[in-house]
Amino acid sequence: MLPRVAKATVKGLLYLFLFYIIPVFLLSQVAGFAPQLSEDFQQRVTVFAAITVFFAVAAELTSGTIYQHGLNIGRALILIIYFVIALDGGIMKMDLDIIEGQRINIMADLRTYLMILISIDLLALAKSVLQMVNFLSERTEKQLPQPLPHENL
Amino acid sequence: MLLLFTITVVYSALQIRPSFGEPSVHSTNGTFAVSLPMTLYNGGFYDISGLNITTQATDNEGSIVTSSTTLFPLISGGASATLRHNMSIAIQQAATSDLSHLLFMDSEFEVNTHLRLVYAKAFPFEISFNMSMPWGAPFANLTLGEVAVVPVNITHFRALIPVSFENHSFLEMNGTIALEIVDYLNNVVGTSSTSFDASPGSLSETSVEIIVSGNPANIREARLSFQTPYFNYGPMVMSLV
Repeated sequence: MLPRVAKATVKGLLYLFLFYIIPVFLLSQVAGFAPQLSEDFQQRVTVFAAITVFFAVAAELTSGTIYQHGLNIGRALILIIYFVIALDGGIMKMDLDIIEGQRINIMADLRTYLMILISIDLLALAKSVLQMVNFLSERTEKQLPQPLPHENL
Repeated sequence: MLLLFTITVVYSALQIRPSFGEPSVHSTNGTFAVSLPMTLYNGGFYDISGLNITTQATDNEGSIVTSSTTLFPLISGGASATLRHNMSIAIQQAATSDLSHLLFMDSEFEVNTHLRLVYAKAFPFEISFNMSMPWGAPFANLTLGEVAVVPVNITHFRALIPVSFENHSFLEMNGTIALEIVDYLNNVVGTSSTSFDASPGSLSETSVEIIVSGNPANIREARLSFQTPYFNYGPMVMSLV
């Protein structure tokens, strides 16, 4: 159990660094000229980091059980929903007050990027489902009564 | 891989540094040209491609005054590009289209700027903003003053009509104004013309002397026609006091 907790902690910290510390640092660079944009994106990054870190740690702690695969399926589904919401369906519109009294409208077409993210998560979902099926079948096989030697004759 | 791409794209996008120069206004042959110099430093790793800057100026009545587009095919990562976006307004166009009110009334143009670009060959962006630009009319506050009437003989009288306007434009305005006096029966009862020379920002005041036939009480209106090196416009109907 202890190595599993240590592994989960390391994985959690690594994910926290990759998905929270680095993006927040990058966003802090924009805070100077577009604080509104920085705030908005920081919220999205925080939610993403929370989902990723939670599922990474939970899946690690439950590794070798059916719950690990359940959590992986849940993560893939939640991330698909999250990406669609966070990227506003692929068309992101922002109104910024960069210059005083001057509104700037920015529209980013992220549909291709969103499709790639969803595709990756769908693959992860399929992989987790297959892993779960494999896990259940292996467990069922183990529970079956072993044939006796004389029955084979 | 996607995570690395995303992080580097965000980082690179933050390294883009646009800077705008002082806009300059030129006037040549009756055309106002507003030029906006712009430098775009693409300090990131990825290219900016298909940069398209479109501006459209509309007057306070919503009519399109001018529209122009500047294209810049590619700004490579780490490179800097200097571009100049030009907008031009031909005063002749104003005189011949439904924008003739711009000759006589100052306005505030609404300039809609629309930028389109593709970043890192994957992310199309559209950026738009509005700004306003003042327009000074070359014949602002055009006024016909009180007509002074002096009888010449039993059938004719001499009318002295003060004409004044302010040149709010950047152009040196000179030329002639031709006047036709029209009575209530729609007959032209007198014609004359006067020359003018108004430097930018100046007030031009002149008087037109016309020999008019008939009764001064029958005068209804004056029709003005403008001839300048840049455009001809008229007739413009104004009532007489």
